Amino acid sequence: MNHKTAPVELRERLAFAEKAVPQHLMEICGIAEISEAVVLSTCNRVEIYGGSENPGVALDKLVDYLVGHFAVSLGEVEFYRHESVAAAHHLFEVASGLDSMVLGETEIFGQVKKAYATAQTTGTTSRRMNKLFQQSFTVGKLVRTSTRIQQGSTSIGSAAVDLAEKIFGQLDGCRVMLIGAGEMSRTTAQSLLSRGAKSIIVSNRSFDKAEELAAELKGRAVRFDDWETCLDEVDIIISSTSAPHVVVKHEMIHRVMSGRRGHSLFLIDIAVPRDIEDDVNRIDNVYLYNIDQLEQIATEGKTRREKQIAVCREVIDEFLREKGIEALAGFPEGRGGSGPDRIQPDTVARPLTNP
Amino acid sequence: MDDLYLILATLAFLGGFILAAVSLRSESAGKQGLNIPIAVVGLVFQSLFLQMRGEMHGRCPITNGAEVLVFVSWSIVIMYLALGKAFRLSLLGVFTMPMVFVFQVAAIVYLLAADPGPRPPATLDPWLELHAAMSLLAYGAFGLAGVAGVMYFFQDRQLKSHHPGRLFYSMPPIRYLVDALVRLLVIGTVLLSVGIVAAFFMKIVPDRGHLLISGAVWLVYLFLIVIHLVKRIPPKPLSFSAIIAFAFALLTLSAL
Repeated sequence: MNHKTAPVELRERLAFAEKAVPQHLMEICGIAEISEAVVLSTCNRVEIYGGSENPGVALDKLVDYLVGHFAVSLGEVEFYRHESVAAAHHLFEVASGLDSMVLGETEIFGQVKKAYATAQTTGTTSRRMNKLFQQSFTVGKLVRTSTRIQQGSTSIGSAAVDLAEKIFGQLDGCRVMLIGAGEMSRTTAQSLLSRGAKSIIVSNRSFDKAEELAAELKGRAVRFDDWETCLDEVDIIISSTSAPHVVVKHEMIHRVMSGRRGHSLFLIDIAVPRDIEDDVNRIDNVYLYNIDQLEQIATEGKTRREKQIAVCREVIDEFLREKGIEALAGFPEGRGGSGPDRIQPDTVARPLTNP
Repeated sequence: MDDLYLILATLAFLGGFILAAVSLRSESAGKQGLNIPIAVVGLVFQSLFLQMRGEMHGRCPITNGAEVLVFVSWSIVIMYLALGKAFRLSLLGVFTMPMVFVFQVAAIVYLLAADPGPRPPATLDPWLELHAAMSLLAYGAFGLAGVAGVMYFFQDRQLKSHHPGRLFYSMPPIRYLVDALVRLLVIGTVLLSVGIVAAFFMKIVPDRGHLLISGAVWLVYLFLIVIHLVKRIPPKPLSFSAIIAFAFALLTLSAL
């Protein structure tokens, strides 16, 4: 099951604790009908990939196992099941980020690798699972390099980070100032920090709140009356105060830019009403984005990525057509013999089967 | 045969440009990597052309406008291949190819209209060869700096407009563009300085006009670099200056 088929309340009940995965893998392979197994358990999905001589019975026993070991009851969870080529296709889509909540995200690729490594270390994979997962890594990389699935931002935070990287390149050493300590500022600042930004300065009308956020972000707090003195120290300013009037004025930025020796300044205004005067964007080397503009970039990014799904599926289909025999070594002919089947939402297939 | 190599090189650069443009418009991202092999193919044909012309003249093949144009575009391609990746300038080829293509076409037209033929040297002078080769390589660096300037304006406009298009995501960050532009200006100026110093050792003293023009180009770039190092020219005027300075350098080439 995944984020599309089960709410978080169900997913968290079925999630495999990381340390317990080897034990569960051994137990799953202890079921007579299952010879190989890999458990992929993340916050957005719980999937079990297995090999069996007798898939029907194996599936029933697997469901019994899950019901017996986790706090779920029969009929409560809608499991999706794929077999043969469709199962391989599904894994390839997962590894490529096509089945992720954020299309094209890369974290899942590492999670699939880790799931396979855990199973391999535990000794619950053999030739078929080894081949299948190794092929999934090849496909995951191929999809990401030969399509534009990773191109474009998908959230306000990622849009801000992507824009910052298009201005400054690597964000290592970039200094950030938050004017206002709202939730959106915190999230955006965390996104920037995750890409290497440093020296967070937080200024807020309530100094206690500024100190609290500064401590969380490992930065320093500055009194609201003094934020203007820090303008020439920073490269990125995120403003999100609740002030009913303009906080950052054109002349302030104009004055600061004369001393920046050509270094760019990126301003993110996520306040409503806006904190930063619009004509600040006219100053050379100053790039101002407000919340609507970031939202629009994120929306366009999502649309762009959605359009890429078909292109990515073509890449996967072509890979399966070209390398079908290798990719599916050990799988039966039949459904998967002449090419991949598109996975239908209502497909109820059996687990992977032995020849 | 030399004409054929020139045409083949021109077609390679045209192909590279078309391929890059098509690739940027298409949903797939996989063909941009072909840009470099195509540039290498074009460079090989350019080199063959220059080699044949060099053998024909018995000296560095910069005896007429067509050869100078091909030599400059050869230098630009060399710089692009040598420094494009190092300076992390993706898509530099997309912007470079059209310029190189235009230079090549101009060279073909020139040769078709009136190929002056062989111009044997009075005496073989290694200092003359060094002067010519270094100067034209410098023009390659200046040309590429101009291209980086154009790319800066493009990316700046995309960022200012708040509606970044597809090309935006494939372009390098503006900071890298400015850094690369400055490095190219420095590389070009150093090469041109070597070329000018070599001119003082030449057996035949160049005419006053030639010296004045070469010196003017050198001074323009030296002035640009010194001002930038001392006062840090902001990116926009710096990019603009790099474009204008290269246009000026090109104009002076026709006078040399």
